[in-house]
Amino acid sequence: MKRFAVLQLSGCAGCEVSLINADAWVDRYHLVYMPLVVSAYDMPEVDILLVSGGVRTDEDLHMLRRAVRRAGRVVAAGTCSVSGGVANLGDRDEVRELFLAEANRHRVPRLLPKSHPIDRYVDVDLYLPGCPPTPELFMAVLQADGTFKASKVVCQECGRTKLRDMKPQHLVGFQQGKVLPDICLINQGYLCVGSSTRGGCRAPCPRAGHPCVGCRGPSDMLIERESAAWFTSIKRVFRSMTEIPEEEIDAALRTPQLALFLFQFADYAGDEGRKRPKEKVL
Amino acid sequence: MATIMIPLSRVEGHARVVIEVRHGEVVDAYFQATEFRGFEYFVLDAPAEQMPVIVPRICGVCSTAHHVASVKALEDIYGVEPPPVALQIRELLMLGQLLQNQATSLFIFTMPDRLGIDSIFELDDSPASGGEITRIKTRALQVRQVGTHLITLAGGQFIHPIKAVIGGVTSGIPAEAAETMYQELQWALPIAMDLVDYYWESSLAMGERLGTWGDDAPACYIASVEAVRPNYYGEVIRVFGCEEGDVCAVFPPSRYREFLTMEPSDYSYAGQTSFHGQVMRANSLARANLVRDLGTPRANEYLRRFHTAFGRPAHAIMLFDLARGIELVYAIERAMQLLEMPLDEPETSVPYRPRDGEGFGLVEAPRGPLIHHYRVEDGKIASAKFVIPTVHNLLAIERALRVAAKRYVKPDRVELELEAAVGRVVRAFDPCIACATH
Repeated sequence: MKRFAVLQLSGCAGCEVSLINADAWVDRYHLVYMPLVVSAYDMPEVDILLVSGGVRTDEDLHMLRRAVRRAGRVVAAGTCSVSGGVANLGDRDEVRELFLAEANRHRVPRLLPKSHPIDRYVDVDLYLPGCPPTPELFMAVLQADGTFKASKVVCQECGRTKLRDMKPQHLVGFQQGKVLPDICLINQGYLCVGSSTRGGCRAPCPRAGHPCVGCRGPSDMLIERESAAWFTSIKRVFRSMTEIPEEEIDAALRTPQLALFLFQFADYAGDEGRKRPKEKVL
Repeated sequence: MATIMIPLSRVEGHARVVIEVRHGEVVDAYFQATEFRGFEYFVLDAPAEQMPVIVPRICGVCSTAHHVASVKALEDIYGVEPPPVALQIRELLMLGQLLQNQATSLFIFTMPDRLGIDSIFELDDSPASGGEITRIKTRALQVRQVGTHLITLAGGQFIHPIKAVIGGVTSGIPAEAAETMYQELQWALPIAMDLVDYYWESSLAMGERLGTWGDDAPACYIASVEAVRPNYYGEVIRVFGCEEGDVCAVFPPSRYREFLTMEPSDYSYAGQTSFHGQVMRANSLARANLVRDLGTPRANEYLRRFHTAFGRPAHAIMLFDLARGIELVYAIERAMQLLEMPLDEPETSVPYRPRDGEGFGLVEAPRGPLIHHYRVEDGKIASAKFVIPTVHNLLAIERALRVAAKRYVKPDRVELELEAAVGRVVRAFDPCIACATH
């Protein structure tokens, strides 16, 4: 039986909760370390190590470096671990100063100046983006038998119909409640980025009537390119499907939080952004 | 002075317990939350309407509670009243959260303490091992998963849900989907009750073996449910059981600062809350001490048994665990009641006009009253405070830890039971560190 471990760095445990729901592994893989559900002081040697959360404290970094040495295969699981996730919102100058000033406490792990994805410090064999990745995706990682099939982008998994003659003039609010069933959210004026976001999640958000916020990050087409290409791709979709002025789309895409790119834009932007080869991303 | 440090597992998030000992005497015991992300800062300048998507990321275990509290805070600012069907669907969301959380706490976090194992996942349910008789692992995961299905149905996805929106919910629940969910809950109910009975008995046996259930001293309690037919959707907060009388305060979320004293801690990334200096307890035992009638037959039967056996108010800390079992049954039964109502209305939300201001969103999360407090200027978040139920419990947790530490730290030695005792104490309160530090 293959042995696997889950190392949780600074994060929300959503990835772990999702993994627990993928209960098909329960009798087929041996979970030897995962502090959320197993009492074990130390991580033994494992075949697969899933790392969730970002590197936020010196303790995170210490744990990460120690764990990867005992792992056959290292998987960055979840958007925080892959590209920084929601923690990137703390990397705006005005915000960073605020919270570092307040976080100076005794006897607790020291905060690093910035939260980082794990590939800043260790080699990663496989990236599993998603906030959180679905149970199906977790199973695909554990099995690693190539049977998992997904569409390239969320859009292809959504099932809503795109209409030619329904062209909104303006974006509706992000949180407007009224959603027509079965019709593409872009036709209804929502800023949905499912057209450029990596598929594989089976589109739970747009199916439920909420625009895709891009938590799985860029699709294979875009993942090795700079973030501007990502913007351009989304704007092209809105240009062909709507009559919404381009400035409006631009402004909405660039609010830091929705950061549509969601929470991970900062990490892909500019020269600092690490390129993650698409072969390594599930 | 010697320091004993005990890392914690089978709780949500990163924390440890530190016990300070001088000349064989326990000087103090601390609960240290060791992670910090900074959500109150992340959200500054966020367009207010994005909050219901950002803040669930505070915690993957409690994301539903944050999602709903966030929407309620914004509705408070905008002056929006969602239609009744939206409130029913949001109640279903909270019930799914309750079901999932209590199943996780009961079976994944604390059942191993009853069975003397490290993890429920090491149980072998196969016929060859004889494990097919109890099948605890399989059945526990099944019950827990029903809760996640309920959240998915009402919230779009079971972690970081998205269906609650300002003014209502994105869509209703078609009759067919409601019927399927109803049947799943109906199937799960006897399994859940069976597991709760087993858990109840093994807890009593453990209590007998240990002689005491930990910190049994009276405390005051805080909850935001009603005494009759509680609704975890949250209206007002009650503090009760303190020295001055039965109910010591009733207040809306907007007045929390008048009643709750919140102080930061220099040895932990989580602060601490008191009721004017008095230790408070939130979570399942607070609700079990308050509620007289759950409004569902089987859960009421468990509640009656609980009150008869342990009195009211009851104070032994491991009763938090048993009270979670009552709520597990309640969540299933109440969700079935709601699913029998029509939830497929065409209008599931009302229009709203955004405006600036200050607002408060309260829900009774599994761990107690959760408040989101926002100030919006120019459509953006100018300040956000997250008032977290686990933080209400931290003084009570430390008080209970001191009791446990004094029992097992002897002048000449530290008894091995200390570590297990610390784990049992902390898990009874089911703290959520990701939420507490946010």
